[in-house]
Amino acid sequence: MNGKKTIAFLLITALVFLIICPLLSIFAEAVFQNGRFSLSSAIATITENENAKMIGSSLLLGILVVIVSSAIALPLAYIFSRTSLARYHFFDIIFMIPFMTPPYIASMGWILFMQKRGLMQQLFPDLAFISDWFFSLAGLVLVMSFHVFPFMMTMMKNAMLSVPSSLDEAGAVLGAPFRVRIRKLFMPLLTGNYAIGALLVFVKTISEYGTPSTLGRRIGFSVFTTDIHRYATVAPIEFGKSASLASVLVGICLMIWLLQNYITMRRTYSLVGGKGSAVRYRKLSRPALVAAIAFIAIVVFFSMLIPLFSVTISSLIKLRGYGMRSGNYTTANYIKVFTEDTQGINALLVSIFLAVSSATIAAMLGTIVVTISRNCGKKMKKTIEGIALLPEMLPSIVLVLGIMLFYNSIYKAIPIYGTIWIMVLSYVVLFLPYTVQYVTSSYSQISPSLVAAGRISGGSPSYVFLHITLPLISRGIMSGWMMTFIIAFRELVTPSLIAPTNTLTVSTYINRQFEQGSVGKGMAMAVICILFSTVSLLILNKAILREKR
Amino acid sequence: MKKTLIVLIMLLSVLSLSASDKGIVTVYMPSPAGLANKLAADFEAKTGIEVRTFQGTTGEILARLETEKANPVADVVILASWSDGLSMKNSGQLESYVPANADKMVPGWIDSDSTLFGYSASAVGVIYNTLIYPELSADWQELADSQYRNDIAIPDPELSGACKDFVAGYVNAFGWDTFEALADNGMIVPGANKAALEAVTTGEVGILIAGVDYNAYSSMADGEPLAIYYPASGTVVNPRPAMIMKTAPDMDNAKAFIDYLLSEDAQKMVTDAYLLPGRTDIEYSNRSTLAEIPQIECDWDAMMAISSDSAARINELCER
Repeated sequence: MNGKKTIAFLLITALVFLIICPLLSIFAEAVFQNGRFSLSSAIATITENENAKMIGSSLLLGILVVIVSSAIALPLAYIFSRTSLARYHFFDIIFMIPFMTPPYIASMGWILFMQKRGLMQQLFPDLAFISDWFFSLAGLVLVMSFHVFPFMMTMMKNAMLSVPSSLDEAGAVLGAPFRVRIRKLFMPLLTGNYAIGALLVFVKTISEYGTPSTLGRRIGFSVFTTDIHRYATVAPIEFGKSASLASVLVGICLMIWLLQNYITMRRTYSLVGGKGSAVRYRKLSRPALVAAIAFIAIVVFFSMLIPLFSVTISSLIKLRGYGMRSGNYTTANYIKVFTEDTQGINALLVSIFLAVSSATIAAMLGTIVVTISRNCGKKMKKTIEGIALLPEMLPSIVLVLGIMLFYNSIYKAIPIYGTIWIMVLSYVVLFLPYTVQYVTSSYSQISPSLVAAGRISGGSPSYVFLHITLPLISRGIMSGWMMTFIIAFRELVTPSLIAPTNTLTVSTYINRQFEQGSVGKGMAMAVICILFSTVSLLILNKAILREKR
Repeated sequence: MKKTLIVLIMLLSVLSLSASDKGIVTVYMPSPAGLANKLAADFEAKTGIEVRTFQGTTGEILARLETEKANPVADVVILASWSDGLSMKNSGQLESYVPANADKMVPGWIDSDSTLFGYSASAVGVIYNTLIYPELSADWQELADSQYRNDIAIPDPELSGACKDFVAGYVNAFGWDTFEALADNGMIVPGANKAALEAVTTGEVGILIAGVDYNAYSSMADGEPLAIYYPASGTVVNPRPAMIMKTAPDMDNAKAFIDYLLSEDAQKMVTDAYLLPGRTDIEYSNRSTLAEIPQIECDWDAMMAISSDSAARINELCER
């Protein structure tokens, strides 16, 4: 028992070093001036006119995105949980696409589509008035909502699936019409879930860097993430300001998580009991069916087809000055990515290396974290899980800023700042929660009697772990690995803050080409990136399924 | 599992930049990326010294230097802004050195203390989309005319060193009237040089003022519908300073790299990238020559003093 405690204690120390210390260095940077504690400059930063305005617009953006993505997600959730259309499971995969497309690529697609004399105006010159409207807060809200809505849709769909049809039927039998049943029955049962979904969307929106850094910059709309990034990277560098803003952002996020916790405890109903709780699909009337299909088509069109079309076409245009015109198409951009210089191929190799190494390390570390936390006291378990899951609750730009400050300050002891290893480390920290969650859920499916049986039959603890537990949780580990691999491959925040000299990743390559090089080459790499993610997702999915059999 | 390990190790060995015996030199340089890569490759081939580059805009390079103050990495820094180079010299960051071929350089493109070496130069001009304006020759202040309303862009002077120096030079000589009028006329700031050029290439705007010329020449050579001219009241020709850092970890290699930049081969590459060569004895015919460009009288010290504030002012003026 004592040995276990020691191991758990060592693990906590390691996690504190990896995750808590960088966070603390942010707070330290914000409140220590020349070695002396002082809140004044942090407060001055926050109340500075420009920053106060920025904080206001960040929160406004978050609220607007919650509203718009609800308007998209709630009808879809209803359609795919309670109507006859719910049978078509391939929609589940289709609605993964906007979530799998990196937000910076999607917003570049939108910019190329909407800009003055851009793709839309070349196709439909009469729609030019939409462009002015798009390059404003409205466009930003729309693009971010189209990225984040699948998240809320999935949550609400699952919540709606857990409301048994018998309740609905009881309402109908007692004479309540459809509208009343929605209002009096469905809505009260789902408000808890909706509140959680809305808060998550809010946090995701104010933590997002990709869209604000591309489309937001275009329209001069600064938010937390872009300002934190600007203060930390553009001369004159002001880490203090950057850290102060990051601290505020951390505060907001933590408050929202607490609120969410509170709601989860107070306002969720246990609807899954022992009784039959089958969901019967509603057969839609003809007009309703047409309306539902039209709605799905519109969402698919805007959230997927426009950005993907725009990115693909832009990668194939030869001379940008002539736009979409027969004879002005070429595949040369794809060839140039690999042949014009070594940057393109290097960026791909670096991204693959980072994805493989961070996924592997995170999978191992995550498995260790979960395994140890299950075998030590309750208090320690809570501490370990709390720290390990922290990176998911916080905006990645905050953690990366912390890592940057922390490893810069201990450069003499651990000289990894400015090397590729600090990126590996940062990726591992950022994506550790994926493995932790997947492995935790596969652990929870293992009956304790299996392990007990192994021990009784004479297996040593390590033998039992290797031959019983590990095979059973391997799917969880693989899923965590896969998720990390795909997300890490296209990660933007870390490399744009702490990539060493000479090192571009796929994301910074695309960004750089889009902003300072050839848009054609940038978009060619974007297409390659999307294809690579999709194909690796399919391959890994297959591999996991085969293993399961 | 073994296979993954092997792949990992292979990837690692590709990535781990094994330094050659001749050592390394770390160079921070701005666009054009093609030129930077060619110079690095040729220098490596000639000397066996490995070149590590960081490529970014002038703003990004300055930021990087600031972050690395505690642990200096850069040996040679090249900027696209002479005034930013001067302010680095004034803060005592630069090493003095007399490179080979210094005598062949354009007068004034090497400073009196021999710390800034203008190995190449660019000028900014008016770049326009020929599909929208078949012909254009308006002077700077004439572009504030209402017929060009909402159709003019300028590169972000806080990101583009060349644009920054032009703004400082123009304001120093003529005051703010023209820029204020242009901003009132709906001028936009799409981003650094390339982003601004992209805006005029795709026709998002018809006219780009203070656009760097080498980018335009290179796009025109590709066949894009663009043209460039230098307005009659003059522009700023901006020597791009290469500098040796006092804190250079590889001082000898840094000096060798500066010598190389002023060699005939490197200067030829400079002209191939449509930049003006830093030496007077290099011939080129792919662009306007130095003598053909009308210039504003430049007081670099006065410009340096106002350049950063002026750049910020442009962004303020153009904010919608």
